[in-house]
Amino acid sequence: MKIFDDHDVVLKHTLPVRLFHWCLVLGFLPAGITGIVLFFRPFGPEGMHFVMQIHIVGAWLLSLACLGFFVFQPKRVAAFWREIFSWTKRDIDWMKVSGGYPQKIFLGKEISVPLMRKMNSGQKLMGIFVFFGAIIIIVTGLILYVALPLVPKETVWYVDKIHLVVGVCLLGAVCGGHIPLGMYNWQEFICMFGDGTIKVKDAVKHNKLWVEEDIEKVK
Amino acid sequence: MKYNYVEKAVQVTRREFLGMTGIVAAVLWTGAYAVTDIVEDRNKYIKMRADGLYKDDEKHAVRQSHKNKSLMSMYDKLAAKPMSPLAEELFHTKYVDRAIL
Repeated sequence: MKIFDDHDVVLKHTLPVRLFHWCLVLGFLPAGITGIVLFFRPFGPEGMHFVMQIHIVGAWLLSLACLGFFVFQPKRVAAFWREIFSWTKRDIDWMKVSGGYPQKIFLGKEISVPLMRKMNSGQKLMGIFVFFGAIIIIVTGLILYVALPLVPKETVWYVDKIHLVVGVCLLGAVCGGHIPLGMYNWQEFICMFGDGTIKVKDAVKHNKLWVEEDIEKVK
Repeated sequence: MKYNYVEKAVQVTRREFLGMTGIVAAVLWTGAYAVTDIVEDRNKYIKMRADGLYKDDEKHAVRQSHKNKSLMSMYDKLAAKPMSPLAEELFHTKYVDRAIL
C-alpha cells in the first residue's frame, strides 16, 4: 500500500479533459434547456427563432467537442470505455447501496461502500448513458437540421420523438443526478472546473483503488 | 508545478485499437448505408409522384387555366376578371414568411 503525505496533490483531470467537459457544459446545457422551451413554445415567432439559434449553437459546440475529443484524445476515449464497460461484483454491491449517498444525505450516517477506481459505479452508468445518448441526440439532431427535406416524413416523426425523449432523459440525468452529486462532492467539482488537481487525501475518499493502482509520482 | 502525482499513461493495445476502429467503421458504414437507403427510397417516391403528375397532365386536353372554359365561364358569371379586386379577395392567398420559426 502506498503511503501519501497530506500535501500530496494529484492531477486527476488533464487540460483536454477539462476543456471537453467545459464544452459539454456550455454546449449541452443551453441546448437541453432551449430544447424544453422549443417543445412548449411559450414565446412568439421572433422569440422562438432566437431560442432555436441558441439550441443550434449549443448543439454544434457539443457535436464538435465530441468529435474533437474522439480524434485528438483517443487514449482518453479508450480509458473511458474501459472504465464504463468494466463491471464487477464490486459495482453491483455499490449500486445496491447507491454508493451510500442516500444514507449520507438523508440520514446523516456513513456506511461502508465498495472501493472504486477513477469512476464509481453510478458514474459508470451515467457514462454509458451519456455515451450512447450523446451519439443518438447528435445523429438525430443532425438529421433534423441538415437532412429534413431528404428524409421521409414518417422517419422524421420518429427521429424527432427519439431526439426529444433521449434529450429529456439526458437533461434529467444531468440536472437531477450528475450536477447535484457533483456539487455535493465539492472537491471533485472544483477539480473538474478548476485546474484539474485534487489532494490525494481527498481523492482517496472516493477513488481509493485509482489512487493505489493508477497514479504515479511525477518524474 | 502544483501537483506531484499524475495518472499513469493510458496504453492502447493493438487488439483494442483494431476493435475500436472496427466498431467505428461498422457504425459509420451502417449509418451511411441507412441514410443512403432512406434518401434513395424518398427519391423513388418523388420520382413516381412526378411521373404520375406528368401522366395526368398528358391525359388532359386543356392544360392551362386561361384556356379552361369552365373556369372562364365562372369569371363571366361573377362579372369579374382574373386578378380583379373581387378575384383577389375570393381566390388569392396571402404570403406568410415562415423562414423564421
